[in-house]
Amino acid sequence: MDNELHNHTYVVTGATSGIGLAAAEILVRRGAGVIGVGRSAERCKAVEAHLHHIHPDAPVHYLVADLSLQKNIHQVADEILNQLAGTGKPVLDGLLNNAGTFTYWMILTAEGIEMQWAVNHLAPFLLTHRLIPALQAAPLARVVTVSSGSHRHGWINWNDPQLRRCYNGLRAYGNTKLANILFTLEFNRRLGTGSAIRAFAANPGLVKTDIGMKGNPAIAGLVWKLRRSGGIPAEESARGIVYLLTEPSIQESTEVYWKHGIPQHASRRALDPAAATRLWVLSEKMCGLDGGNRHDAA
Amino acid sequence: MMPPDPASNHKPLIAITGATGGLGRAFAVECASRSWDLFLTDLAPAPLAILASSLETTYGISVVTHTCDLTDPSSRAQMFDRIRDESIRFWGLINVAGLDHEGPFFEQSDRQIRSILRLNIEATLGMIHELLPFRAPLTPFRIINVASLAAFYPMPVKATYAASKRFLLDFSLALREELRGLGATVTVLCPAGMPTTASCIAGIEAQGWMGQITTRDVGRVANQTLDAALAGRVIVIPGGVNRLLQILGGLAPASLVARIIFQRWTSARQKRNWISPAIPQVET
Repeated sequence: MDNELHNHTYVVTGATSGIGLAAAEILVRRGAGVIGVGRSAERCKAVEAHLHHIHPDAPVHYLVADLSLQKNIHQVADEILNQLAGTGKPVLDGLLNNAGTFTYWMILTAEGIEMQWAVNHLAPFLLTHRLIPALQAAPLARVVTVSSGSHRHGWINWNDPQLRRCYNGLRAYGNTKLANILFTLEFNRRLGTGSAIRAFAANPGLVKTDIGMKGNPAIAGLVWKLRRSGGIPAEESARGIVYLLTEPSIQESTEVYWKHGIPQHASRRALDPAAATRLWVLSEKMCGLDGGNRHDAA
Repeated sequence: MMPPDPASNHKPLIAITGATGGLGRAFAVECASRSWDLFLTDLAPAPLAILASSLETTYGISVVTHTCDLTDPSSRAQMFDRIRDESIRFWGLINVAGLDHEGPFFEQSDRQIRSILRLNIEATLGMIHELLPFRAPLTPFRIINVASLAAFYPMPVKATYAASKRFLLDFSLALREELRGLGATVTVLCPAGMPTTASCIAGIEAQGWMGQITTRDVGRVANQTLDAALAGRVIVIPGGVNRLLQILGGLAPASLVARIIFQRWTSARQKRNWISPAIPQVET
């Protein structure tokens, strides 16, 4: 137990299991304050107690939100900003966009958006936007979005980015992970050099989590079980991610995509600046962030 | 895609019932992505508002919502009063609202049985009958009725539901001929199970590989059905396997099909830890 991150606050989404939980544990061990976001009130409560046990002095607070709905994202962003304001120091040192999902069948959220596109891509996009004021107040702030090696399977069809008309769960997943890198690329471009905020996309590696198991056909679950058997523990992956979130020396790095704290090559499509801009504009429109201007369909 | 009529200022406006359910939502999104304005109705106001505002933001269309209990004629009448008062004109109507209380007929309450008939049959017919006078002039009026693959077979455990869908199928085919002269078309969608809710997905799972190969994603179904309606096609059965099942089902005697379906359902339900029904008997 140490306190090197004392007085630092981080928001972690999907923070009740897998990589998100492991990252929260590492941050708390180092004395950081953690605002966790999870879907289940019960799990949030249990994890909050667990983290308090790890480091009684680290301020830990969990918020319950289902990030598949933008309505909830706005609500949780307000709660986070209020929480920070309540400490008298409305500063956020980092946001870890970790929450992610995989759905084999096409599910539309109540807002009519394809579930993986909503949770894996639009949620990080919108939550980041909402937290920019608090991030900008920090001397050095990070936005780390957990992407995946499967971004290489992604290929966004701009006529049907959510794959509504020819849905394939794995391709849809790959698209959202590709979108995570494109978002990071464009975000850094828009922030410009010298910004207090730096964004990175992380490849967590193949990690032993339950992402492929939740609510999917038995066969998809079985395939995932086999794949993850060669995976690494969540703690190992989370170390590389926390590095991106906290390491001061990489603030000026122009690398976008990292694995275990080492820059990696992302696919050619993930580094296409035109695609990144196009995705940004589309995402703004889908999140109602384009100042009410109405455009063509998504 | 339907070209906008240059002679009119009206954009295409489509009415969708059951708009916040899985398939209704998919139709709403698909219409919105084609830049058609929407009139959405369902039972609860909150989900309608959420969907409407998201579709307006994302696709830049106008959405009118109306909360309505379609099984209640006075609730329907109120909706049509509003349509009359606001001079709303429609290019199409998609009747998605429908329900099923799965289980043996004998175990169902009178109320459950009546609700299936009221919503699946009465409300659908009422919507068509009452909306036709409000169709936009000078443009073909497209009606889509959502039946089911169940419309082609007598289906034990879904007996009332399947028969209500058969009603819609036959009704749609007949109405289609009657409406030819009015420049309206009727398309009837007969989908197999669709993975829209956790319990639907569990049901598909319980059917094993059969569930896997007969299942089609809602987005694809909605897209394909709109294209079919625009082309004036009669029956849409999404998925090659499902079309094959429909043809094979047509070759066998209905009583045999019913028996096979009952056996398949029984074994599927047992996999979901569902005990075969003990039919209550009157002491003799």
